[in-house]
Amino acid sequence: MRGLAFLGVAVALGSLVACGTTSENRSGGPASNTQCKGAGGKYVIGMSQANVAEPYRQRMDDDIRTAAKAVPQFDVRFTDAQQDNSRQVSDVENFLTQQIDLLIISPNEAKPLTGVVKKAYDKGIPVIVLDRKVEGDAYTTWIGADNVEIGRQAGKYVAEQLLPDGGKIAEIRGLAGSTPAKERGDGFRESIRGRKIEIAVSQDGDWLREKGQEKADAILKSNPDVSVIYAHNDPMAEGAYLAARAAGRQDALKFIGIDGLPIPSGGLKAVEAGRLSATLIYPTAGKEAVEAAKKILVDCQQVPKTQTLKTQLITKENAAQVYAKENSGN
Amino acid sequence: MTGTDFVRSRRESALATVFRFQSLFGLVAVFIAAIVFSPSRNGELLFLTSDNLFNVVRAVSEIGIIAVGMTFVILIGGIDLSVGAMLGLAAAGSAVLLVENDFGLVPAVLVVLAVGLGFGLLQGVASAVFGIQAFIVTLAGLQCARGLARIWSGGQGIAIPYGDGPGEAPVAFSLLGERTFNGLVPIPALIFVVVAALAILFLRGTAFSRHVYAIGGNEKAARLSGVPVKRVKIAVFGICGLLAALAGIIHAGQLNQGSPNDGLGYELDAIAAVVVGGTSLAGGRGSVVGTVAGALLLGVLNNILALNGVDTNVQLLIKGLVIVVAAGLQQLRPST
Repeated sequence: MRGLAFLGVAVALGSLVACGTTSENRSGGPASNTQCKGAGGKYVIGMSQANVAEPYRQRMDDDIRTAAKAVPQFDVRFTDAQQDNSRQVSDVENFLTQQIDLLIISPNEAKPLTGVVKKAYDKGIPVIVLDRKVEGDAYTTWIGADNVEIGRQAGKYVAEQLLPDGGKIAEIRGLAGSTPAKERGDGFRESIRGRKIEIAVSQDGDWLREKGQEKADAILKSNPDVSVIYAHNDPMAEGAYLAARAAGRQDALKFIGIDGLPIPSGGLKAVEAGRLSATLIYPTAGKEAVEAAKKILVDCQQVPKTQTLKTQLITKENAAQVYAKENSGN
Repeated sequence: MTGTDFVRSRRESALATVFRFQSLFGLVAVFIAAIVFSPSRNGELLFLTSDNLFNVVRAVSEIGIIAVGMTFVILIGGIDLSVGAMLGLAAAGSAVLLVENDFGLVPAVLVVLAVGLGFGLLQGVASAVFGIQAFIVTLAGLQCARGLARIWSGGQGIAIPYGDGPGEAPVAFSLLGERTFNGLVPIPALIFVVVAALAILFLRGTAFSRHVYAIGGNEKAARLSGVPVKRVKIAVFGICGLLAALAGIIHAGQLNQGSPNDGLGYELDAIAAVVVGGTSLAGGRGSVVGTVAGALLLGVLNNILALNGVDTNVQLLIKGLVIVVAAGLQQLRPST
């Protein structure tokens, strides 16, 4: 019975401690600018990131860090959920325990994070949601881009610039079941409809460079007649390029990706170097998030519920210039 | 563990007792460290707020439940790498049954638990009857469970809306994401406590538990002394699968979604909890109490690092070190 006794002690210890303190209950109600203390205040901001292993999300954190440096009142803390919904729920709960003044969250997925985001919002903490959405309207503002529109632009570029006379293309998709993969695919299809362009083969590349390479290897063998490879992100497009180069066919094929990250390993550099024909910028919204936070906390202003950021087509003509502009703030 | 070993272990020295309950002492030590390092607001230690303590237990409950099952498997000298994938399969399966097939709460839960149990038993048969190493069997099981989860769910995460209509799950299922006792105690934490208590009772004095320890101590000797080795092994894998499925149901209920990608890497967190809890990967030595303490220790550690805003990458380093130190301390333990 010794084990039981120990369990009893552990439980008693836990409950003793639990009873010994009281949790602070902040007055609830929808968040308005109750947190605004003006320029004289100090603010702790919690930034809950879904997965910094993705370069796009690492850049989002970096953009927030850079932009927040210009706001002396802000102290931003970062968490990384490592692509796990449960972990991200805990991350936000921990932020609530720390009594942060504002929450920025880039949700791993919408539905599982909705509850805890609402909990924060109901406590009166302003919530800025980036990139992926949450359900309902228990947040202060959402900032992100429109993946369907980006897919459309990609399709338009392929139809008008790369294959004006039609042809066969291959698609390397993002992770099956993820919203951006669906939206980037749907938008693309919308644009090429009625254009004599056929998606001869479509494979899942899980957003990964090595998967893009692997799938393109197979595609080049099974469908030697495709002339364009459309990948749902730049790393997969780069992987496809590597596969084509290994087969000696890199000049016969065109590659197009999405994201256009302004980092050395990103799509902008790949377009500049001529490996990719084009990419479309998927803005991280990091800078815009800090701007919104400043409006809410320091300037005591309202922010719009939704801010959709524009994409931009990047080709060899503008790649270097956009890269320089995006990194000018550092 | 042979009979003489068993007798000798009864006469452990005080030092041995310390080692035996190493993880409990570890938990207390980490708990005290957390109090010392806790940030405070308005004179109140944030770590000790009841909200926060229950958050910690809630956050470890799924891993904890899996780790209890894992303890049984590791005690017999095995390992189960399929539990994370099984959690995904169970979460996705719960969502499909409740939302798309309009199952009632009880039938859905029973079907999912049966899937977990059946899957575990199959792995047990592969391991015990066909003699394939548990590592290989469950590595294959991991792949199969992920594949099944993707097929069952159509590859998509399935959102779970609540209500009485078609395409809606019974409202009772959403209780898994709720808190009871004045909105304080998370339901998953309660389930974890119940599972752990049952497992502790189960591993205490029953013939089954003696068989488990005997197989882990020396399988050949156990067989020679009449322990039904195959049956016990199969049952242990069944229990582990069942508990992983239970964790998957809780996962779906907490997050209002079942996705085939859920539970990625959870097997490693569960193994870490078992190891920190003092159960030997060689089998035959360890306890569920230790595992519960191990899971809580890692949970408290996670929590206090997060509350102090320690960089996520540094957190990973610290957690890795803690696991190595815990395993290293096991080596110092006097052999029984």
